[in-house]
Amino acid sequence: MLTSMRVTERSLADATMRGLQANLNRLGALQEQLSSGRMISRPSDSPTGTIVAMQIRGDLRQLQQYSRNTDDGKGWLNTVDSALTASMELVHRAREQALTGRSTGSSDQTAREALAGEVDRLRESLIGLANTKYLDRPVFGGTTTGSTAFDQNGNYAGDTGQVLRSAGAGIKVRVDSPAASTYGTGPTQLFAVLAQVSTDLRTNPAALGNDLDLIDTASKLLQSQLSDVGARYNQLVQLGQAGTERTDQLRASLSDVEDVDLPKAIMELQLQQVAYQVALGAAARVIQPSLQDFLR
Amino acid sequence: MASNFSGLSTALTALTANRRALDVAAQNIANANTPGYSRQRADLVSLGGTAVPALWSAYRGPGDGVMVADISRLRDAFLDARNHSERAASGYLNNEHQLYGQLEQLVSEPGDQGLQAQLADMWGAWEDVGNNPGDLATRNALLRQAATTANSLNSRHNGLDTLFTATRDQLEALTADVNATGAQIAHLNQAVVRASGAGVSANELADQRDQLVLHLADLTGARALRQDNGAVDVLLGGAALVSGQTVRNLTVTGARALDNQASSPVGLQWQDTGTPAILPSGQVSSVLHSLTTTVPYYSAQLDQIAATLANSVNTQHGAGYDLSGTAGGPFFTGSTAGAIRVAITDPALVAAASTPGASRDGGNADAMAGLVSLPGGADLTYRQLVANLGVITASVNQRAAVQASLSETAAAGVAAVSGVSLDEEMTNMLMYQRGYEAAARVVSTVDSMLGTLINMI
Repeated sequence: MLTSMRVTERSLADATMRGLQANLNRLGALQEQLSSGRMISRPSDSPTGTIVAMQIRGDLRQLQQYSRNTDDGKGWLNTVDSALTASMELVHRAREQALTGRSTGSSDQTAREALAGEVDRLRESLIGLANTKYLDRPVFGGTTTGSTAFDQNGNYAGDTGQVLRSAGAGIKVRVDSPAASTYGTGPTQLFAVLAQVSTDLRTNPAALGNDLDLIDTASKLLQSQLSDVGARYNQLVQLGQAGTERTDQLRASLSDVEDVDLPKAIMELQLQQVAYQVALGAAARVIQPSLQDFLR
Repeated sequence: MASNFSGLSTALTALTANRRALDVAAQNIANANTPGYSRQRADLVSLGGTAVPALWSAYRGPGDGVMVADISRLRDAFLDARNHSERAASGYLNNEHQLYGQLEQLVSEPGDQGLQAQLADMWGAWEDVGNNPGDLATRNALLRQAATTANSLNSRHNGLDTLFTATRDQLEALTADVNATGAQIAHLNQAVVRASGAGVSANELADQRDQLVLHLADLTGARALRQDNGAVDVLLGGAALVSGQTVRNLTVTGARALDNQASSPVGLQWQDTGTPAILPSGQVSSVLHSLTTTVPYYSAQLDQIAATLANSVNTQHGAGYDLSGTAGGPFFTGSTAGAIRVAITDPALVAAASTPGASRDGGNADAMAGLVSLPGGADLTYRQLVANLGVITASVNQRAAVQASLSETAAAGVAAVSGVSLDEEMTNMLMYQRGYEAAARVVSTVDSMLGTLINMI
């Protein structure tokens, strides 16, 4: 590094010190990498790597959020599914009572009274099922703040809002069921129909034929809603799986960018240590001898 | 014809000269490790007889011996000047390197403790409120997380503020150092001029003075100008800091806190004229630059991020409805990083719904969570800021490393000319010792010759 022919002890010592310092700096950098396990400890270590790492971290967080949303959505849909399945059972039983009532004819009033009572109880159970809650919210009530979707008389007490969950980038899945398309509205609503069935069993068995058609329509409505819920559930499951795979990929990418390659770093550390020892040895050999050793 | 004793006097001059030269070698050896010492050399000049031609009193003998004409100080002014400028650049870049290292620590990215993680947690909390708008606990968690994010911005602003104040204090200390060094140089100038006027050796004083000039170059990038009388003038960007025996002082003016920097910028002035001082390079120049440009720039960027965040969140919040169905009010108050706070304390006032009237709709909270990828939003702006900081810091680090090796080369050049080589001094000592012995021998030989002559008569 010297530019002239003249070398002094001082300049030799300075050059040696500089060399040793440079060695120690490299050792220090390698040690920082190994002890933190990260290649990038600050943005200046690799500016492009930092941008990529920050981007990946942001994406990972979003995926975590989507996963939470998906799990929550699946819980909702499960609740709706079991409520609808149970409801369909009860509607089927109600239909049987109505059928029995029609075939019994106008002969046995007490029998039809019993059937009407059965239908009333089934109607009450169905209203109870329609008020199923998930996490304190009625699943058929839309976004109502109340605690029930239907009141005791079977009138709709919720609102028309939707409950959506973001399950992916730009993908929102509806996780509740609208009461209007599940139970119907107006005089063809399921509870209105069942109330009508109960009345007709007691007073007007001839109208039961029409009532049976109405029950069938309501039953089909429930069925179609059930299959829709199933489809949405499948969609959530698929989105959840895709999210999990993407999360694993992103974690691997993040590790590639950020984490230190341990075998490589350890080898470099050992090489650097050897280089440092060699530098120390050379320094000892060069600095010590001088003319004074040889003068008498 | 020469006198009988001319040989003796010649030998005497040799004895004296060799002894003085040995003293110079001793001085060099004694100061071999003194920083800033330039080696001295005894300039031996042979004495001739009278060189004036004459007819009757011509001198036909050999010369009259040797004399130490001067004890010269070996120093290369050109190498010195190069050393000054390289040291100045090195001082500047080292300070920049340190400053940017501190800025990076303040940012602490990439990682899980930085602002990006806080922002991501906040958007996640909004998403949770969107999923469960009726739950007060979730809303409270959102308010807490938003407060943490605002705190994060506050603390980074405070960190920059503290950095500014500490650097301002450093600037004052360095300026005092510059003034004190200038005064010392003026004092030494006076001593050197007096000594060289009287013909007395002033080499050690000159060495001390040159060390101080180097220190000034390191601090301010000052240039040294040698005068004919032996004094050194120190110039700062063309204006004289030290002129012969007079020194001019610098003062620091301007704001003491980061918030006042824009209205009252920090500056360095000449105390006597009030004009701004121009510092070409050096540590003080870098400190001043960081106070007037670098720290305020990053503070402004941080303020912009806080303003963008507050603006986008407040706009989206105003478009939603809270638990009781009324439209949302401002969510954040303040539009600078130091002043941003969460304005809402009641969790029911968080506008999560996108439809008016009391409902458990979470649409607005969902839309709020989508602000994470808003183009030009807080997250993206912050990421760009971190990336830019990383690029600049990497570049400064690299320049500082390159400059360090340049400075080392320049310093080595100076040391090569002015440094003491013990081997060389040892050899010189041998030389002068033998010369002394030989001259002593001449004395004893002439003495015995004269003795023969005297005893003969």
